[in-house]
Amino acid sequence: MKVLGILGIIVILLFIFLIQRPGLKRSGKREKIAFFSIMMVNGVLAVLLVIFPEMPGPGQMIDFLYKSFKPFW
Amino acid sequence: MIEKGRISGLELALIMYATVSATAILYIPYITAQHAKRDLWLSPIWGSLSGFLIVVIIVILSRYFPGKTLIEYCELILGRTIGKIIAFLYLFFLLHDTSIAFREYGEFVESAFLHRTPMLFVTGSIAISCAIAVHGGIQTIGRCAVLFLPIVFVSYVLIYIFLIPDLNLKNMLPIMADGVLPSIKGSLAPHAWLSQYSLMSFLLPLVTKQQKVMKWGIVSVVASVLTMVLMNLGNLFLFGDILINLQFPVFEAARFVSVGSFFEHIESIIIAVWVLGGFIQLSAFFYMVVLGTSQWLKLPSYKPFVLPIGFLIILFSVWTIPSFEDMIRGMGTTVPYYFLTIQLIIPSLLLCVAVIRWKKPKSFMQ
Repeated sequence: MKVLGILGIIVILLFIFLIQRPGLKRSGKREKIAFFSIMMVNGVLAVLLVIFPEMPGPGQMIDFLYKSFKPFW
Repeated sequence: MIEKGRISGLELALIMYATVSATAILYIPYITAQHAKRDLWLSPIWGSLSGFLIVVIIVILSRYFPGKTLIEYCELILGRTIGKIIAFLYLFFLLHDTSIAFREYGEFVESAFLHRTPMLFVTGSIAISCAIAVHGGIQTIGRCAVLFLPIVFVSYVLIYIFLIPDLNLKNMLPIMADGVLPSIKGSLAPHAWLSQYSLMSFLLPLVTKQQKVMKWGIVSVVASVLTMVLMNLGNLFLFGDILINLQFPVFEAARFVSVGSFFEHIESIIIAVWVLGGFIQLSAFFYMVVLGTSQWLKLPSYKPFVLPIGFLIILFSVWTIPSFEDMIRGMGTTVPYYFLTIQLIIPSLLLCVAVIRWKKPKSFMQ
């Protein structure tokens, strides 16, 4: 199941890459670097989420940071 | 400027109205009612304070730096390193906020209609259609808002017009039975929602008539507060004290409509129309994230990033919120503080530094 999930993510990311390729060819170096770093973050995060679905995220961080405000309300 | 398209003041007001109110009318009544009980219609009025304050701050900042968004003038005001860090914080918040909005949309559609469809499919499909609108630029979103929102307005009004025979005005009494405090406590969520007017800074440079920006911003806040108050009042008149237990009172109200026992089940039309409003909201959020990211990285175009960032938003919408219960609990307790710190404190800090360090602009109050 997890292998299938990871394969699906790779397929989607490849699709995004293929759709954007004609535009990327014309664009500068900075854009290419930015594009591939966002894609990299996407890939890593998606694979991590498939393997560890219960991974704590930003939501838990917000809860942790603002927990102490609760009694005031 | 990356974006070539321009929008009118009305389009600005409508886009911001959709950004705030589309999910506000669904989720706020339940969260507010937990504290405010019968006074829940007063809470958005207290909440409007932060809406007005933020609109004024953002418009004055845009007068200091015409043609620049918050991400850009952050760096000008605070210097390169600190500016980049604060802008990144804001951008991360925006991504988080967008993913929450997508999740809200998904949870609502799923619990109302598509019980067995996986959430990813619901959010993913709206993300693809929003990506097309974002790729078209701000003008596309503005025109969509002008086209769709009147239909949404009419449908909101129609629900309660059909329900007039069932409305019981006495449910409202006694007003403020336990003093003002419950309604102020309940105003936490409206405060958080209305603080989203800070996102207006992404749209202000794109407006054609800069002199009327303040007017349209205030009009937009008033419209969303009025919508919330009237919706809350309508729900209160209809349901009375059981309102506290209803998660989507507007939807339940639409389900309640029955005219002459042949005009029934209009909730499907209402949701279909609501999705139009949701589409404007999500595309506006999506557009702001994409534009903000490319401005933060100082790139000449934002179009290559629409799809990758869309993917990231969907990932975040799964990652940040474990379940529906967690989302509702968070909205009533911690998330509003997070919204207010980022959206109220960062712009006010920027304004303070700008007032001290920069000369007063010539076209200050036109």
